Amino acid sequence: MAKKNQNLLFGLYDDEEVLLKAVKEANTDHLDIHDVFSPFPVHGLDPLLGLSESRLHIAGFFYGAIGTLTAFLGMTWIFTKDWPMIIGGKPYWSVPAFIPITFELTVLFASIGMVVTFYAINGMGPGVTNEVLHNRLTDDKFAIAFDADHSTEEDLKKYKAFLERSGASEIQTKEI
Amino acid sequence: MKEFQISGRQKSVLFGFMGLGLLCMIITFIIDDAYQPRFWSNFLINSVFFTGISFIALFILCAKAIAYSGWQTVFKRLWEAYSMFLIVGLVLMLIVIIGIFGGFHHLYHWTDEHSLQTDKILAGKAGFLNPFIYTLFTIVIVGVWYFFARKVRSLSISEDHNPGMTFDIHRKIKKYSAAFLPIGGFTSAAVIWLWVMSVDAHWYSTLFAWYATASWLVSMVALTILILAYLKSLGYFQNVTNEHFHDLGKYVFGFSIFWTYLWFSQYMLIWYGNVGEETIYFKMRQTQYPALFYGILIMNFVLPFFILLRNDTKRKMGTMIATSIIVLIGHWLDFFLMIKPGVLHTYHEVAGGHGESHSTLTNGELNARLVADAAHGAEHASSFQMGFTIPGFLEFGTFLGFLALFLYFTFIQLNKANLVPKGDPYIGESLHHHV
Repeated sequence: MAKKNQNLLFGLYDDEEVLLKAVKEANTDHLDIHDVFSPFPVHGLDPLLGLSESRLHIAGFFYGAIGTLTAFLGMTWIFTKDWPMIIGGKPYWSVPAFIPITFELTVLFASIGMVVTFYAINGMGPGVTNEVLHNRLTDDKFAIAFDADHSTEEDLKKYKAFLERSGASEIQTKEI
Repeated sequence: MKEFQISGRQKSVLFGFMGLGLLCMIITFIIDDAYQPRFWSNFLINSVFFTGISFIALFILCAKAIAYSGWQTVFKRLWEAYSMFLIVGLVLMLIVIIGIFGGFHHLYHWTDEHSLQTDKILAGKAGFLNPFIYTLFTIVIVGVWYFFARKVRSLSISEDHNPGMTFDIHRKIKKYSAAFLPIGGFTSAAVIWLWVMSVDAHWYSTLFAWYATASWLVSMVALTILILAYLKSLGYFQNVTNEHFHDLGKYVFGFSIFWTYLWFSQYMLIWYGNVGEETIYFKMRQTQYPALFYGILIMNFVLPFFILLRNDTKRKMGTMIATSIIVLIGHWLDFFLMIKPGVLHTYHEVAGGHGESHSTLTNGELNARLVADAAHGAEHASSFQMGFTIPGFLEFGTFLGFLALFLYFTFIQLNKANLVPKGDPYIGESLHHHV
């Protein structure tokens, strides 16, 4: 995730295969890639960039567990303490009847919890607009970006040469 | 690439286990009561279990061919080898059929002449539940499955001589697969009604066939993981990587949940509907077989769910093998619980109540034995009985014997063909499979 107000030097690529090859090349040349942008998850990119596995699913497990407990304990309380009702001649505490609802709330809590967490971590949400590096990055282009603020002139030259060499169709610098 | 060769040691170990199984069956037969309910039900459980595994292997192969799936190609010879076991399954079921016509067993209540005359429900079902339909359906259906299994396998083997990696043969496989999927889907339900559900002849459930098929499916994938891990350790199937195991692990995980979903759907509707004719099925199992009843839920749902929930446990051989063993035994116990209570019940009804009408009972000696057995049975009906309420050593020995037979047959089939289907157009995709 890019921070606000920094200059990025980036090259646009037309094809994810070219992009993957370029990232591999950058790794062998020890170029410090700031970030890679893509309209969709590119298979095999994460390990190349050294990104660790997301921990979102662990959060999801706990949200789900909270949903399970909420539903099960909630129904237990309602049907045994708060408002006991006999339905179809079954006992107040009828576990089989609780299971579908417990399942539903588990899924609901896990999915909503994960979405909210994901949005919060990435600084997204209703009413929040984030500037994009290039409009076509949301469509059909891919980009490799380098941090232009913390690079020497010599480094920048090296980056530009690398982008040209590796098949970038367009090279730009943008403050974001 | 290394070709499969069954080693002398494997042969002797497998024959040893087959011998153990045979020994267990003989012991069961000797110590058993008249009509050998324990022996015959063990035989039926294992025959159905392994025939089902070979059927579902063929079904999944066909489903994958239709779905343009490629990742399984590197080990698809194993599933093809499984599917060839159908011919052995047919022989095993024919032995059960001979038992029906010979009056050697009382596995099925609907085979009893006296009950048919006095029991309205059984008489009403006699149009479907009778020895003729049982025989016809078993032979025709398993025969048709075997025909498709042979066809798919021979086409797949002929693909080895396909240097251009063309799709010509693959298209033929797809045609046979497309024909087999609906046939297999409907006919498997029919044989499950006949083989398994009619053990409780008064009871029926529309969901039952799916539930039993899901059991076969999980067992099949679990067995695949175990055999692949074993053969890989011997140096075969080197192209099967963690990625393939990861996907197989997802299958075990997902279909365990699917099985539980079906199990619970059946249970909850019957519990909620509260119709005596239906609830008796679960009432009997919950009160007389509690260890198995709750045990299979833990083994087939709770354990695989929590063990395989994480990404990394599906990629580690230790957890995968442990889970596969758990669910394989768990689903075998599931079939045990589907069949044993009904057989024991039928046995008590038929042999205890009005067994005299049975044609073989002209012999006075046998008659006396039956009366004694009836008292014996009544005594057991409400208490613990080894071999019925829980599986004993003889049951597990029989299971191991059948497993060895299945593995021996699988290895023989693997022997016959090239292990890596090098001419399959999807082999490249499978070699580079990445989750």
